[in-house]
Amino acid sequence: MNPEFRQALYETHLLIEEHAKDREIEDNPLPESIARKEAPRIPDVPEHEVVRHYLRLSQMNYGVDTGFYPLGSCTMKYNPKYSEALCRERDALDLHPYQPEDTVQGTLRIMYELQEMLAEIGGMDSVSLQPAAGAQGEFTGLAIVHGYYKNNNEERDEVVLPDTSHGTNPASAAMLGYKTIEIPSKEGCVDLKALREAVGENTAAFMLTNPNTLGLFEEDVLEIADIVHGSGALLYYDGANLNAIMGKTDPGKMNFDIMHFNLHKTFSTPHGGGGPGSGPVGVVEDLKSYLPVPLVKKEGDKFILDYSLENSIGRVKGFYGNWMVLLRAYAYILERGREGLTQVSERAVLNSNYLRKKLEGTLELPYKPLRKHEFVLSGQKLKKEGLRTMDLAKRLLDYGYHAPTIYFPLIVDEALMVEPTETERKETLDEFAAIIEKIMNENPETVKNAPHNTAVGRVDETRAAKKPIASYKMREGDEK
Amino acid sequence: MEETKEMLDHLGIAGVEELFKDIPDKIRSELKLEEGLTEMEVMNRVKDILKENRSLSEFSNFMGGGIYRHYVPTAVNEVVSRSEFYSSYTPYQPEISQGMLQALFEYQSLICELTGMEAANTSMYDYPTALAEAILMSDRINRRKKHRFLVPENIHWEIEPVLKNYLRGTDIILEWVKYDKTTGQIDKEDLKRKAGDDMLGFFVSSPNVFGVLEEDTKFYSDIKDETGSVMVAGCDPLSLTLLQPPSEWGADIVVGDSQPFGIPPSFGGPTVGIFACKGRYIRRMPGRMIGETVDKDDERAYCMLLQTREQHIRRDRATSNICTNQSLMALASAVHMFVKGGKGLEKIAKKNYDNAHRLASLIEDIDGYSSPSFDSEFFNEFLIGNQKMIDLKEFKERCKNNDILPGIPLGSWTESKFKELPPSLLIAVTEMNDAEDMEVLVNTLQEVKE
Repeated sequence: MNPEFRQALYETHLLIEEHAKDREIEDNPLPESIARKEAPRIPDVPEHEVVRHYLRLSQMNYGVDTGFYPLGSCTMKYNPKYSEALCRERDALDLHPYQPEDTVQGTLRIMYELQEMLAEIGGMDSVSLQPAAGAQGEFTGLAIVHGYYKNNNEERDEVVLPDTSHGTNPASAAMLGYKTIEIPSKEGCVDLKALREAVGENTAAFMLTNPNTLGLFEEDVLEIADIVHGSGALLYYDGANLNAIMGKTDPGKMNFDIMHFNLHKTFSTPHGGGGPGSGPVGVVEDLKSYLPVPLVKKEGDKFILDYSLENSIGRVKGFYGNWMVLLRAYAYILERGREGLTQVSERAVLNSNYLRKKLEGTLELPYKPLRKHEFVLSGQKLKKEGLRTMDLAKRLLDYGYHAPTIYFPLIVDEALMVEPTETERKETLDEFAAIIEKIMNENPETVKNAPHNTAVGRVDETRAAKKPIASYKMREGDEK
Repeated sequence: MEETKEMLDHLGIAGVEELFKDIPDKIRSELKLEEGLTEMEVMNRVKDILKENRSLSEFSNFMGGGIYRHYVPTAVNEVVSRSEFYSSYTPYQPEISQGMLQALFEYQSLICELTGMEAANTSMYDYPTALAEAILMSDRINRRKKHRFLVPENIHWEIEPVLKNYLRGTDIILEWVKYDKTTGQIDKEDLKRKAGDDMLGFFVSSPNVFGVLEEDTKFYSDIKDETGSVMVAGCDPLSLTLLQPPSEWGADIVVGDSQPFGIPPSFGGPTVGIFACKGRYIRRMPGRMIGETVDKDDERAYCMLLQTREQHIRRDRATSNICTNQSLMALASAVHMFVKGGKGLEKIAKKNYDNAHRLASLIEDIDGYSSPSFDSEFFNEFLIGNQKMIDLKEFKERCKNNDILPGIPLGSWTESKFKELPPSLLIAVTEMNDAEDMEVLVNTLQEVKE
């Protein structure tokens, strides 16, 4: 066992367990008929105990600031601290969405400039900052597709996507009522023949991320675009993997019509334990009038919220997007600049290929070697010892690493999807590769029973699903 | 750089450009952005731009309409600034992520205590998207031939366009129920007329967009029972420390926004969409949910619950496409609730109620105003009306000169928001408003009148 990593473990009672027994609300000003009688069971705990509780919980959690977090598809890069400091400024956080435009000119300027910067990076003509996350960006993009065909009186009810696509792609398409058609890949990339057969007069859109989830660049992308456009469908770019190509190519150049950005991935806003993120959507000129409203527009030297888009799909959420996330991304793009963002992609791809090369002798690497920002290994080899990729992932935790994404994409057996990002140094990658090799030679029992050094041992997720306890209340019901 | 050189050597290539040789020349592009800045330059530049804003602290502020300015205890910021929390992501590896998992489980538990529901998820994006997902969920719970869902007209004006997008690809039809022009509550006759056992469900919000509380809650549980449909209730979580929880009047799903707890106004985002439901519908839920279980040594542990509902497993048959949510904001809300405690929150809620009612009666005393304009109980937000057509431009000018954000104009002096009402203002009052604030607003309203 590695003595270098040992996660904290504290007694894990819930604060809510300290609630008083059935407290009646006194002097409730509301009318008897709608007044609450019993107070909600929220305990009254001294503040320092609350702070201790959460400080302890934080020490039982692993973030990028704790260590290497090569979670494929999620771009877990180090997030600069200046962005956090800016978000604590009163002139950033103490703003109401409906205060007069002339009192929020700073915010509107930043949003306007961010719209412009993202349009430039994506090679798009216009960008909306409203979507709250990548999946909502996809949803927005497909709602635009939906609105566009409705306007043109075309009935197209299918969305085609490769079998390597992110789960959110088919899920977003389904939410908009589209039938999804998955086409099998060839050598890990889009099979042009299968694509030609799949698209037609019913196809509304083809969704693609490039590089794809295997980290392979779809070299035939222009031909893909021709096939898709030839069928009258639109081409959608899932921006989850944009970290690989900045300054090298862009979705506009690749002839995509619509795309979303993941600001919490590419533009280094923290992932927040699951969110908030931000998923701006960019479109080509022909689709601009369909974007959600409002956009930020510049009129003279003033910035205004513009609701005047002719075919706008309306709104996908309240207000104008996750402003505090937008602010962080804006600061990051300013700091990196033209050269810096290009270097981000260069280093992300260098790190990925370096680590890929270090590991391809240890684990199997299906498909061709040259990858972009991430790569997918197969843990098939582990089966000989009665192990699975899951076991390797859990054992990695023992050595103080977050595990890569596992069992995705689905076309790789026992997949291990590794995305090192540009913010890691060579030494970290070397150590990580050495540890994987070490684990492969460990006693299989040790690996099978991992993790040993984390706050808790392997968690029984099946049991959780059998008798779900989603709140303190449900646990109590169980005990009764 | 030495390091880069070693890495390139290991790959047997001369330069990093070789790693991009699979990108065809035809699609090559370069960025046209400015040169990068140093951290110091970024800080100076962005702070200078932010100075063009005027923060709420510079005003007598009465803005609400879905975003409220409450006091955020300092400890909340300390906790959410722990980068073990904020620099982590969705807890796919539960063993190393117990801290966030437990914290989110506690958030879910608090939401359940407030709403009376048994299950909650870790967040939706916000109130409108939570309601949209609730309507989609009612269709999963209650598959019916006719997919009517009844929504009252007294909901926030930004909700309708969101619902339209979320229902775009479904066969669910929204049917609008009128509100009572005297009480601001749902027009019960109209609801009764439109309700039937052929509908999926219906939505009731208390408070609604006018801040009005529904006073005859039993009526709604009766409608629900008679029609066997799904009732979705909208809430303000702070008001629930004093208000009967929606579970007591029949709600199956409760939605709202937890922004009043621990989240600054932030120009409208990020906030945290509340989504809670009865335990028996847990498998129909959208989004991430945390559950309690044990580890291999039978010690208590937490993990993501029922992931097979979700997009990364079920793809096009998932209950929702949501992946990244608003978890950190959920954490902020939970910390706020625990720091203030049950009694503390109740005290804040009472202060909100008292302040709002004091201001309402001060305005009522001004000739020409009806305050509140609806004959109903309210919590911390209310509508005032003036039968005469006041000049909106002049009013805004006066507010500007006096540094007042007087609330949100609704009614016939706006282009699209509840035009059927006389010139009205939606005024929110919280524990942050003092007597001086109120005096400034009252004086200004008096001046406009003259």
